[in-house]
Amino acid sequence: MLPESAEVVLFAALVLAFAILFAPAPAPRRSLLLRGGAGLAGTIAISAVPTFELALLVLLGLGVLNASTSGKQSFAIRLRAPVLAVAVFALGLVLARATGPEVLGRFAAVGLIAGIAAGIGLLPYLHPFDPGDAVTESPIAWMAFIGPALAVVVVAGAGGVLAGAAGGAFGAMLIGVGLVNVAWGGFGAWLTESTIAAWRYSFIADWGLALCGFGLTVIDGRRAALLVLFSIVLCRLPLYLASPQSPRVRTVTERPVNLVVAAALAGSAPFAGFAARVLILRGATQLYWPLGLVLAVGMLLWLPGSLRLGRSLGVPRGRQAIGVALVLALNVAVGLYPLPLLEAARL
Amino acid sequence: MVEASAALVAWLGMSLIVLADGRRGLALGAALATAGIALIVFQGATVIDAGVLALGGLLMAARQLANGPGGWQLMPPGSTPRLVLCIAAGLLALWIAFSVTTGPGAALRFGVMTVVGLAGARVLASQEPSVLLTAVGLLALAIAATAGTADGGQGPWPYVAAALFAAGAAWLPVKAAHAS
Repeated sequence: MLPESAEVVLFAALVLAFAILFAPAPAPRRSLLLRGGAGLAGTIAISAVPTFELALLVLLGLGVLNASTSGKQSFAIRLRAPVLAVAVFALGLVLARATGPEVLGRFAAVGLIAGIAAGIGLLPYLHPFDPGDAVTESPIAWMAFIGPALAVVVVAGAGGVLAGAAGGAFGAMLIGVGLVNVAWGGFGAWLTESTIAAWRYSFIADWGLALCGFGLTVIDGRRAALLVLFSIVLCRLPLYLASPQSPRVRTVTERPVNLVVAAALAGSAPFAGFAARVLILRGATQLYWPLGLVLAVGMLLWLPGSLRLGRSLGVPRGRQAIGVALVLALNVAVGLYPLPLLEAARL
Repeated sequence: MVEASAALVAWLGMSLIVLADGRRGLALGAALATAGIALIVFQGATVIDAGVLALGGLLMAARQLANGPGGWQLMPPGSTPRLVLCIAAGLLALWIAFSVTTGPGAALRFGVMTVVGLAGARVLASQEPSVLLTAVGLLALAIAATAGTADGGQGPWPYVAAALFAAGAAWLPVKAAHAS
């Protein structure tokens, strides 16, 4: 298992423990345990299997299981995204391994990028979403739980099969898709009517930043991507779990805690998201400074959405308050001193 | 010659799955596509690898005979786009596998591309669980066959995993579509 993948698995295990211990009382803990355990097993399998084909089979299996459990969408609709992802991954893999003109490698890169987007649930293939879906059935859980392991494995695998210009094209396309997701997610989280949909868009924006980090061919980019993944799994997801899940509940409070949560979600100092943003800007500037400028402008889009999401959390009480405090403390620790996390991933 | 014939059988089987809605048509399609893929794999891997793949696919096909809408329902009214899809996908895969790409394994590339492409298209366009599970099972077999395109041997695990998946997915209890 790659050290980066092992860390992502650890993040997933921690957030599952958080969900079971600190989720609000109405959350179905048995379902969280069962589906979260299955998801964690799948994440471990995706990260640990020795070949790309086996990782795809695990992804397909997880997709079928996820689609077959109850949800507001039909089995057919929930099955489409993982099947599309696996199909384009497989086509990309065949093209990447075939000998022929150079353009084949670029088409292979397109296949792998399309697979990442469809597999995680990002533009141009957003998973079907219903604000009324339970947390365990929502594409948000898939995006934040299965997505990181998938992205790390595919990006590492792509380095092995795409050489030369195709590797460069892969990186450039990751950045392009990442920027589109940053913009779409940022505006969506700000302007959409439903608060749960706003949470979903905020995950998309974070994922856009992670893809930009993966796409930068410098070490700072990979470091930033890992920190963004940390921020998705161990900041945004637990705070989302701690927020009111019902689309009918419209909580808006403006206490200091809401402002602190908004700052953590926006990636401001001293939280982990800030370290990720500094690294990504440094990496982008090393590579091509106008890209850094575009990313800096894109990062401003986090502010309005995060303020809104921070207010929607309400005032945490009881064990929910302990959970929120733990998440914030962990993010401050990683934001101030991210080196152990990066060294453990050998970055 | 055997490889090329096997690839053609795989395409024919996958086309049957795209064109049929009834359990008999789906089962025959699954059996043909499995046989084609297993024969292609047999050319580059061991007998056990190909045998395991064939067993998984045939179990899936057998299950299919008792699952889903009855009869053949081959090319029901409104199937012209599906027929065009099968022919176009076959021609495109043929061109890429035998002309654009070079080197050995052209039949494998053709087989994988047609099965993956048509299975993916079938899943995107269907609501019937038995059809979806058949397409997904064949997609798994095609992914395992992709292992043959890698430089080094990957051992039997992709084939075993895909066979287990295909055989197991066919038995998955899934409710009929209730929303679109």
